[in-house]
Amino acid sequence: MGGVRNKVIDRKEAFQKSKQPTGFLKKLIHSGVVAWLLVFLIWSIASSVSDPQFLPSPLAVWKGAIDLSQDGSLSLYISVSFLRVISGWILGNLAAIPIGLLIGRISLLRALFDPVINFVRFIPPLAFITLFMLWFGIGEQSKIFLIMYATFFIVTINTITGVQALEEDKLRSARSMGASEWQIMLHVIIPGSLPYIFTGARLAMGSSFMAIIGAEMVAANEGIGYMIWNSRLYFKTDWIFVGLVILGLMGFTMDRVFNLFGKAALKRYNVVVK
Amino acid sequence: MRTVKKPVTESAPIISISGLTKSFANTDYYVLENVNLSIQRGEFFILLGPSGCGKSTLLNIVSGFIEKSAGEMSVDEEEVHKPGRNRGVVFQQADAALFPWLTVKENVEFGLKMKKVPKNTREQASAHYINVVGLQGHEGKFPRELSGGMKQRVQLARVLANDPDILLMDEPFGALDAMTRRTMQTELVRIWKETNKTVIFVTHDIQEALLLGQKVGVMSVGPSSNIETIYDISLPYPRSFSDKEFSLLYHKVQSHFD
Repeated sequence: MGGVRNKVIDRKEAFQKSKQPTGFLKKLIHSGVVAWLLVFLIWSIASSVSDPQFLPSPLAVWKGAIDLSQDGSLSLYISVSFLRVISGWILGNLAAIPIGLLIGRISLLRALFDPVINFVRFIPPLAFITLFMLWFGIGEQSKIFLIMYATFFIVTINTITGVQALEEDKLRSARSMGASEWQIMLHVIIPGSLPYIFTGARLAMGSSFMAIIGAEMVAANEGIGYMIWNSRLYFKTDWIFVGLVILGLMGFTMDRVFNLFGKAALKRYNVVVK
Repeated sequence: MRTVKKPVTESAPIISISGLTKSFANTDYYVLENVNLSIQRGEFFILLGPSGCGKSTLLNIVSGFIEKSAGEMSVDEEEVHKPGRNRGVVFQQADAALFPWLTVKENVEFGLKMKKVPKNTREQASAHYINVVGLQGHEGKFPRELSGGMKQRVQLARVLANDPDILLMDEPFGALDAMTRRTMQTELVRIWKETNKTVIFVTHDIQEALLLGQKVGVMSVGPSSNIETIYDISLPYPRSFSDKEFSLLYHKVQSHFD
């Protein structure tokens, strides 16, 4: 009896302990608000002692953002860059996932393509900008192909890893339950490697942003990259900062939305590690 | 209790193996050499041996996961080279074998779904076998929400739902704690009696072998191992460690490994 009572009391104490002050502070720190306040504080102090053309204050950047949005150019640039990234990224994934699944599944294909993949993947997308313009023109096509390229290898390699990380016992058990090779692919390999595919797609998002900004700086009349590159001509440092903040926001939002999608729609596949 | 080199067959055995040999990658290193074995329908057969004696290899050959190098093996008088629905496999590591993205119910229905069995028939079967293994109330849970023993129950139900003639079990309770293992052993005997399956059960645990098996095939230490002796265990179920005959048998079997 005594033992039981002790246990109950211990639990209560533990519960109260966990609710003590650390709770709120912890939440505040985890929300990122503290970090952002710190960034703004340091930024403000630094900008107050420097030339606004060298380092504009947060307020100046905010005003710059309002300037840019007045004629609608900011929202246009955002949507143009976003569309390029999202369409190239989706197409890249659509190409990479099936290829990764096949290479991961068939050891002959793996032996055949592994050296090539490991060679080409070290060539950064930016190195291809001029070539892609030559091959696909200066329009949207070359930019979307560039994003596809930036996405392709990361997703392919992650997919291959995911397929190979699957335990042999899963395939064996499926086979002994009468599953055909196609059913094994559909019901075992694809769901089993989804966490890797998802991570690959998420990483590829980052490299897609890098690639598109590079491409827009070199060859575009619209987009955030173009805006950043062009601002230098007018010494509009605040616009450059607007571009940087927007990039961060776009990436952050896309990642969050993708993660939420993973948590909600792909919950059973455990694609998002908390 | 008697010792037989080759069991006398009354009716046609469900599994018959003769002169089976396995060497890896065309080397001279034989894992198994000249294995002879026949198992009767409904029999609970134990393959007992120390680690590395090739008992899992033998089971994998019966499962159809790996090819033998020479000799003959037939199931239901048919030569087999591939896995098949008539042989259900229960793996040692439930985590490796179960599909973590499927619920208990979905895992159990997997084989039937592959066979394109209609949904309501599938559901009847899964409900039945989930009951048989005592997992009612856990149908909607994912494997990661279950304990080790419960996961092995899922594996068992998943295999049973396909209604195989033979259950092939590779140290299925090896990763469980002693208490859970004991429960699972009792459960397995009950399920075996309820379902009339033929069971081949691989273990290196002499106690487990004597608790479960009607026949215990002792494998010689590898390489080039085969089945040295087959013991007929006529003790009635449920068996008890404290039984005098049990300990006599234990010492007799133990002497193979001393």
